[in-house]
Amino acid sequence: MSDSRVNISVDFAGIKLANPVLTASGTCGYADELADFVDIGGLGGFITKSITLNPRKGNATPRIVETDSGMLNAIGLANIGVERFIKEKVPIIEGFDLPVFVNVAGESIDDYVAVARRLAGEKAISGIELNISCPNVKQGGITFGTDPRQVQKITKAVKKAAGSKPLIVKLTPTVTDISVTARAAVQAGADALSLVNTFTAMVIDIESQKPVLANRTGGLSGPAIKPIAVYLINKVYNEVAKPSGIPILGGGGIRTASDAIEFMIAGATAVAVGTASFIEPDSAVRIIDGIKKYCVRKGISDIKELIGCLK
Amino acid sequence: MKVRGNVAVKERFYRLSLRLNGKGALAFSQVIPGQFVEVSLCETALPSVENIPDDLLDSSQRQIILRRPFSFCDVEVTSQADVRIEILYCVLGPATLRMTTLAEGDRLSIIGPLGNGFSVPDGKKLALLVAGGMGAPPLQHLAGYLKANFPKMRVVVFAGAKSVADLPFSVQSSDKNGHGISEFTRFGIESYIATDDGSAGFQGVVTECADRWIKRNRPNAAETIIYSCGPEQMLAEVAKLAAKHNIDCQVSMERMMACGIGVCQSCAVETRATGQTETVYKLCCKDGPIFNGKDLVFE
Repeated sequence: MSDSRVNISVDFAGIKLANPVLTASGTCGYADELADFVDIGGLGGFITKSITLNPRKGNATPRIVETDSGMLNAIGLANIGVERFIKEKVPIIEGFDLPVFVNVAGESIDDYVAVARRLAGEKAISGIELNISCPNVKQGGITFGTDPRQVQKITKAVKKAAGSKPLIVKLTPTVTDISVTARAAVQAGADALSLVNTFTAMVIDIESQKPVLANRTGGLSGPAIKPIAVYLINKVYNEVAKPSGIPILGGGGIRTASDAIEFMIAGATAVAVGTASFIEPDSAVRIIDGIKKYCVRKGISDIKELIGCLK
Repeated sequence: MKVRGNVAVKERFYRLSLRLNGKGALAFSQVIPGQFVEVSLCETALPSVENIPDDLLDSSQRQIILRRPFSFCDVEVTSQADVRIEILYCVLGPATLRMTTLAEGDRLSIIGPLGNGFSVPDGKKLALLVAGGMGAPPLQHLAGYLKANFPKMRVVVFAGAKSVADLPFSVQSSDKNGHGISEFTRFGIESYIATDDGSAGFQGVVTECADRWIKRNRPNAAETIIYSCGPEQMLAEVAKLAAKHNIDCQVSMERMMACGIGVCQSCAVETRATGQTETVYKLCCKDGPIFNGKDLVFE
């Protein structure tokens, strides 16, 4: 079998993706920031950094610190706000020939709803990723994502505001049982689940005996979290996604094609490449190539055969 | 690109020379002092354990994954297809420790040139270069660049460090102009040293040394510019010094970076535009690393 005969397109929340590899929110900018380094049109999809109702400055520095095979970030949802996003970035996105999802964050349900409503009318936007799992802001973010009643409430409200646009709910792994929050999102109308966001973590400078990050804690990402992410995706796939027919966008430390394939075998319909893009900006494109080669080697003619095939 | 050489200049200080050909060389043939590269060192080997300094034994055990930003101390453009860049680095952590094992012929992955370099506003006839510790390399690059592109400009260098051993330069004998630094005297540039312990040159901070020079020489402020790179506390003092003498000032900032290309938003630098009360965060990698001293909000 040759490369060209492998079908690597997938259906994700009613949207056809040319391949299952997306760039994760917060690791690829608003629109064309990575264009100098990677052919964006070759990606399966693109997820913008978090957009809030009003512009946000973000946290003080240091905002990141490297850890063993990973990093902590506490950016604090720095962004230009939805109005400037629509004015300055959506016109660039209109020139893209791939599905673009906007990651939406806020401090209150009303904030989320207002942003979603504003984006609902934008044709260039394929869908919304609901960020209820950011560990680095005082209000909103993860506080919505850890309480299943709040997950249900916010999902329902944003789904309504988003109109016909599919809604992906991004879950935090910092809960006792992620299937509970996953189920709450699905019952409230989520069209897809995205997991995992970063794990709340801390690094201490032993000389000053203070946390390294100005925010004290941050979200751990990178290869260090990959096996935990694979486990959680497989758990949510078996307990929630498969029975309800809702797809999973899987992510957490994906750096290579082998990593991405693991996530798909575990149950992800598509994968999000995050921290790896900081190190190699064209990681996602290399991963797509590697997935094709794997399919050829294993005699897989359609990548959909891989999704959740874990024995 | 390929490593051309990697030599120890003094205890803990090394010069890494890289050769670029083809497309890479074209990009670097236009490089401006103050720009930087992101170097991948996660696949570079550690030195054998007996060659690891005691203070780095613990941190050398860490798996590094992120690229590290470095500016250049020298760039030599033979042609648009043949460029040599030199990185002057100090062994301070697990990444620079790995860097010491790079040898001629090794391949290295770099992304760049990145960021905005120093600029020369119209009408400047005197450039004062104020370097603190490991902030010196891009100013060495700048000195050569100014001599080549602005031959009429007078350039004076002030290099400060805790002690002479911490200066990433070779110090020549002192004369009536202060200490000569061979990296600058080869361009015919006068240079002064300031050390906290008085082990070379002026005993005291480098900004004090520069301040005295300005008071003594009374340059025309409008025709003068200060360029600086070093620890942030020193840059704050340089910005104050420039403001006091009403001299333009450009400083090179440093932040922990994950990507270096404007997507991770980690390298925020707090700035305030003239006349504004609100501060805004700019990105060190994309908006900088060179900023106007008067726009920066120092802690």
